[in-house]
Amino acid sequence: MKSLVIEDELETCRYICNGLKEAGHCVSHCDNGLDGLHRSLNESWDLIIVDRLLPGGVDGLSIVGKLRDLGKKTPVLIVSALTSTDERVRGLRQGGDDYISKPFAFAELLARVEALLRRADPAQVRTQLRIADLTLDLRTLQAVRGAVPIALQPRELRLLAYLMRNEGQVVTRTMLLEAVWDCHFDPQTNVIDVQISRLRTKVDKGFSPALIHTIRGVGYYLGERS
Amino acid sequence: MPAFPRNSSIATRLALGHGALLAALILVTSGVFYFGTVGVLDRSVDGKIVSISNRLLDTYQARPLGELVEEIDRELTDGIDSDTEIFLVTAPSGERVVGNLSQWPTQGLPTGRLLNREVIRDGRPSSARLIVRKLPKGGLLYVGRDLGEQRSIRALVWHALEVAAAVSLVLVVLGAWLFRHQLERRISGIRRTAHEIEAGNLDRRIAISGDDEFARLALDINRMLDRIEQLMNGVRQVSNAIAHDLRTPLGRVRARLDEALRRETTTAGLADAARTAIDGIDDLIVLFNKLLQIAKAESGMRAEALERVDLSRIVSDMGELYDAAAEERCVRLRVSGDDSVWTLGDHDLLASAVASLIDNAIKYAGPGSKVELTTHSGPQQVAIVVRDDGPGVPSEELPRLTQRFYRMDRARSQPGNGLGLAIVSAIATLHGGELQLLNAAPGLRASILLPRADAPQTERAAARVPAASG
Repeated sequence: MKSLVIEDELETCRYICNGLKEAGHCVSHCDNGLDGLHRSLNESWDLIIVDRLLPGGVDGLSIVGKLRDLGKKTPVLIVSALTSTDERVRGLRQGGDDYISKPFAFAELLARVEALLRRADPAQVRTQLRIADLTLDLRTLQAVRGAVPIALQPRELRLLAYLMRNEGQVVTRTMLLEAVWDCHFDPQTNVIDVQISRLRTKVDKGFSPALIHTIRGVGYYLGERS
Repeated sequence: MPAFPRNSSIATRLALGHGALLAALILVTSGVFYFGTVGVLDRSVDGKIVSISNRLLDTYQARPLGELVEEIDRELTDGIDSDTEIFLVTAPSGERVVGNLSQWPTQGLPTGRLLNREVIRDGRPSSARLIVRKLPKGGLLYVGRDLGEQRSIRALVWHALEVAAAVSLVLVVLGAWLFRHQLERRISGIRRTAHEIEAGNLDRRIAISGDDEFARLALDINRMLDRIEQLMNGVRQVSNAIAHDLRTPLGRVRARLDEALRRETTTAGLADAARTAIDGIDDLIVLFNKLLQIAKAESGMRAEALERVDLSRIVSDMGELYDAAAEERCVRLRVSGDDSVWTLGDHDLLASAVASLIDNAIKYAGPGSKVELTTHSGPQQVAIVVRDDGPGVPSEELPRLTQRFYRMDRARSQPGNGLGLAIVSAIATLHGGELQLLNAAPGLRASILLPRADAPQTERAAARVPAASG
C-alpha cells in the first residue's frame, strides 16, 4: 500500500509513518501544504492522510477539494485538532472519506485506514454474509449459527452486519458508534462493550469457535482465528 | 459625586432648551393678554368718543345751540364718567361757550379724527384723546376722554406681566436646575456602580427605585452584569477545575512514569507503566474535551449550525444504545411518548445530552430500578424526560447538580468527573431551553425543555440514517 502523509507536526508525522510502516505500508510524507498538493496530484497513491492546518499557504481541505475537483478518487483520511461536529462535516463535504480528531490512538487511525482501503475495493453487493457457521441474510434479516436461528434486535443486526462486513479487521468503538448508532460523540462509558458482550452471548455462547474477539484498548474484530 | 462638565451635560442642554421654549410661550401669552386687555380698552374709548360726538352733532343740527349747551351740561354733571369726560364748544371767534377745558389746542387741528393732545381740564393738565368736529353754524365741538385712567391700567397690566415673567423665569431656571439635578442624580448612581465594578467589585448592582426609564435601564444593566458575573464565575470555576482536576491526574501520570524509569528494569514493567500512563492521559483528554464542550456550548452557536431534529428519534436511538448497559445493571429501560417531536438544534449535542441523562439514571438509580424515557410535544415547548425510581437526590442538592465538578458523596464511588449535568445544562441553555431537575419521589426526574419547531415538510430525518456498509 502506497500512502502519503501530509502533516507539519514532526512528532505526529513520525507516529503515523512508523505505525503505517509497521502495518506494511509504503509511506512518504510532506511537511507543508504546497508540497502535499503537488505530490498528491502528481503521483498515484492508495491512501492520503492529511492534516487540516498546514503551513505553505495550502490547507488540508483545499488539497482534498483539488483532488476531488480533478476527479481523483484516492481515499483521504483527514486528521485534525478541529474536533467540532461542523468542522468534521465540512471535512467530509469537501471530499474527505473519514475524519479523525487529534489526539488519537494509532490503533484507531489504523482501523479507519483499513476500513477506507476496503471501501475503495470494488464493492460487491452481497445479500448474505457468512463466516464459519454464522450466516446473516440481509434480505430476511435472519441470523443463523449452525442450524440454530439467533433472535436479534434491529440494532444488534446492524452491529453484527457491520462486524461481518469487516471480517478479520479491527473495528474501534468509535467506528461502531458512528456506523451503527449514528453517534458522533463519545459517550465515554462502556456502552459499546456492553452491547458487544450481549451480542457475543447470543452469537458465541454454546458455539465453537468463538467469533467475536476483543482487542484490549482498541476495539473488536469478528473472525475465526483467535 | 462625579461632576458634569457644564458644556457637555445633556441635562443642562435639555433644561436650557426647555427653559427657552417656556420663555417663548410666556412671551406669546403675555402679548395676547396685553392686546386683549389694553387694546380692547383703547378701542372701546375711541368708539365712545366717536359715537358721543356724532350724537351731539346730530342733536345740534336739528335744534338751537342752547339745547346742545344744556345737553353738554347734563353730560358733565350726570356723574357718569364725569371725572374723565371732556366736552367743549367754542364759538366761531374761538371763545369757550360751554365745556370743562380751560386751555385747549387750537392750531393745526384736523377735524373728524381722533387725536392725542395735552389739555388743561378743570384746571389740571391732562393727556386727552380728542375728536374735533366743525359745527354747521361755525364754531367747534370737542369731545374726548382723559387718558390718565387708561395709562394707569396700562401700567398695571405691564407691571403684572413683568412680575409674571420674572416669576416664570425663576420657575424655569429652578425647574431646569431640578431637572438637571435629578438626571445627574440618577445617572451618577449608574456611573458610581460602573466605577465600582471597574475597580473589581463585580457583585455591585445599581439600586433600583421606581419604574421609570432609568429604573428599566438599570434593570437591563443589572441583568447584563448578572450574566457577566455568571460567566466570570464559570471561567474561575474552570480554572480552579483545571488547577485541581487536570493537575492531579497529570501529576499521577508523571509520577508513575518517573518511578518506572528509575525502578523498572524489565520491558514488561516499562510497558505496563506506559499503558497506565496512556490510560491516564486518555482520561485527561476526555476531561479536556468535556470542558471544551461546555465552553463551546456557553459561548453560543452559529445559527447556520442549527437544523431541525426529531427528539423522539434521538431518544429512541440513545435508548437503543444504552439498552444493553441497562440490562447488564438490571435496570429496566423504557422508551415512550410522542413521536415526531421537533426542535431546532445540533443533533450531536442533543444526543450527547440525552445520553448523559440516561447514563446518570442507569448509574445512580441502581439495580432493580426502572428508567423511563419520554418525549412530549407541547404547543410552544418540547421536552425530553428521563425519570428513574432510584434513591433520588435530596432537594437541597438539586440546584448544585449542574455545577461543574460537583459530585454528590454517594457518586464519588462511581466513575465520572462531575461535568455531565453541567454539560447537559449548558447544551439546553444553548438551544434556548433549560434542564429541570425535580424530585420524583421516588427517584429523579430530569427534563430537557426546548422550544418547539415545526416538523419539516419532507422527512429529512431519513437522511441521517447511515448506510451500514463496511
